[in-house]
Amino acid sequence: MNYLAVLLDSKRISDIKGSPLESKVTDMFGGAIKALIIEVPENLAGKIIENLPGARLDARFFIEEAPIAFKRALFEKIKTMKSIGAEVIDAVLTDLPKIKELAAKESESLPIPDVDISEALGLQKKAA
Amino acid sequence: MELKMTTLPPPHGGNLVDRVVRDPERGKKLAAGCSAVYDIKPTLYKDMPVRNVYREIMSICYGFFSPVEGSMTSAELESLLEKRRLLSGWVFPYPMLFDISKEDHKKLGVTSGDRLLLRLKGQPFAILDIEEVYEINPGEVATRTFGTPEANPEVVKVPFDFKHPGFTIYSAFNPIILAGKYRIINEPKLRKPFDRFWYPPAKSREEFKKRGWTTVIAHQTRNVPHVGHEALMRNAAFIGDIKPCDGIIVNAIIGAKRIGDYPDEAIVEAHEMVNLAGYVNPKRHLVTMCLWDMRYGNPIESLLHGIIRQNMGVSYHMFGRDHAALGPYYDMYAAQILWEKGIPSFGFEAPPYAVPQGLYMRPQNMAEFWYCPHCGEVTYSENCTHKDELQRFSGSFIRSLLAEGVFPPPVIMRREVYQIVLKWWKEFGYPFNNKRYLTEREKELEVDLPPMEIPKFK
Repeated sequence: MNYLAVLLDSKRISDIKGSPLESKVTDMFGGAIKALIIEVPENLAGKIIENLPGARLDARFFIEEAPIAFKRALFEKIKTMKSIGAEVIDAVLTDLPKIKELAAKESESLPIPDVDISEALGLQKKAA
Repeated sequence: MELKMTTLPPPHGGNLVDRVVRDPERGKKLAAGCSAVYDIKPTLYKDMPVRNVYREIMSICYGFFSPVEGSMTSAELESLLEKRRLLSGWVFPYPMLFDISKEDHKKLGVTSGDRLLLRLKGQPFAILDIEEVYEINPGEVATRTFGTPEANPEVVKVPFDFKHPGFTIYSAFNPIILAGKYRIINEPKLRKPFDRFWYPPAKSREEFKKRGWTTVIAHQTRNVPHVGHEALMRNAAFIGDIKPCDGIIVNAIIGAKRIGDYPDEAIVEAHEMVNLAGYVNPKRHLVTMCLWDMRYGNPIESLLHGIIRQNMGVSYHMFGRDHAALGPYYDMYAAQILWEKGIPSFGFEAPPYAVPQGLYMRPQNMAEFWYCPHCGEVTYSENCTHKDELQRFSGSFIRSLLAEGVFPPPVIMRREVYQIVLKWWKEFGYPFNNKRYLTEREKELEVDLPPMEIPKFK
C-alpha cells in the first residue's frame, strides 16, 4: 500500500471542523504538523506518478512532490465527499486534464513564502 | 596497542594526483603544442544536460579521484567493468571516459600520440595526451557499470532503464573514446558561492592539519539538511579513537541534478548554515564539495564516495540506507552490504577496506534516525522501540511542505536552514532545479576561466 498526506493548515482544519473527517486527522512530528493520510492502492499510485510531473514515491511509500494543484483539488474532494478512502483519489483523477494544465503553470505562479530571511543572511554576512 | 590515530589516512593509490598547471605561461606553451582543439559539450539526454565531462576532468586533476589520471584506455575500462580494479590493481568503481561523436572525431582527425586542447566556455582549459582511440557501445558500458539482476543477484533487483539518471548518463555517451591523461593548463576560478566550499584533497588535508584534526568523518549529501541529517552527523561522529571524531565534513556532490532537487547553491549554503547558526560548532564542521554528475549507483557510488573522501583525508564515512540511490534498482541496503561483507559479483569477496589495494577509510554503516513522539526527540532506530509512533524524515515530504507554503517546524528543519532555501527559491524560482535553472547552470557551470591567448587552430 502507498500513502498520500494531505497537509492541514489552520484554514483547512477549520474547513473540516465538525465533520467526520475531524477524527481522522493525524498528528505528525509530535503534533507539529497535522495531516489527513490517505491509503492509495498501487494502481492509483502508479496513475498519479505517471501523470503528474514531479510526483514520486519516497522511502516511506508516501507519494510526495505532486503538484500543488493536485493537492488542492484532492483536499476539495475530501471535503465534499467527507472521506479519505481511495474513492477520493478516483474522483480527483477525473479532473486530471485540468490539474495538469494548472500544474504546468506552477513554476511561474507558486508564490515564494513571505518569510523574513534576514537572520540567515546576517549570519552569512558575519561569517564572510 | 596504539589506539590514538595520529595521522590522516594515505591517499588512495599512495599519492595524490595533481595535474594542474598553475603557471599561465607554462599553460600557454602546453596549449601551443596541441594538434587540435575541442570545445567541451554537455552530455545530453532528450535535450537536457545530464553530465559535463569538465567536472570529471576537474575532480581527476585536483586529486579527488586519485589515482586516476585521465580518460581510461580500453584495457583499463575492461578491467574496471570486470572487477572494479584499475590496471594498477587499485579499487575504482566507475568508467572515466572522454567521449566524442564520430563526426567530431573525423573533424578533429586526432589519434594516439596527439595532444588535444580542451576548451571550456570559450577558453583553454585542459589538454588530453591521447594514448588510444577506441569505440564503445554506450548501452553496454551503462549496463555493465550498474550491473544486472542476473550478473549481480546479491544487490541488483530489477534491470536498469532510462528512469535511472546514471544509466542514462552512460547510455548517452558518444561512441568514440579518447583515452589519455588530462592536465589542466588554465586554472579555473570557482564561482560564488562554490568558491568557499572548494577544498581539493591537498587543501582539505592542509585544513585538517591546521585545525589539528586526525579523525574526520564524512557525510555525503545531495540534499538540504533536515534535523535527521544533523542527528546522523552528530551521532556518527561519536566514533573516533579515544574520543569522538575531531571533525565532521559534509561533502556535497555538485553537478547535473534532477528536476525538483534543490539547487546546489542551496545545498552547500544550507549545510553551512547548520554550523553558522551554531547547531554543530563550526570548529568541528566543514562544508566542502566535489564536482561530479551523480550516477546514483548506490554501492558503486559509495565506493567513489569512499575514494573521494579518503583522498581528502577522511578516516570514516557514513553510509545509510539507500545511499546515493534512486528507484527500485538496488537493494536498499546495497551500499551497507558492500561495506559490511562485500559483493563478490562486483569484485568484492570482502569489504573494500579488506581487499588488496582497497580503501583505508572505514565505513560507519548507520541505520535510521527518526522522530519519535513518544521519546520526544530525534532518535536512532536501533534504540527506539516505539515502532507504531515513529515519523520518518523524508526530503520529498519536506519539499512538499515547502511548496505548500507550510513553515517547516523545528523538529524537521532549522529555521535558518529554511531561510537559505527561500533565498535560493527567490533567485531561481520553483520547482527547484527547474528546466531553466538546469539549462542556464549548464552554460555558466561552477567555474569561470581566465582569458588565455593561444595560437589559432584550424
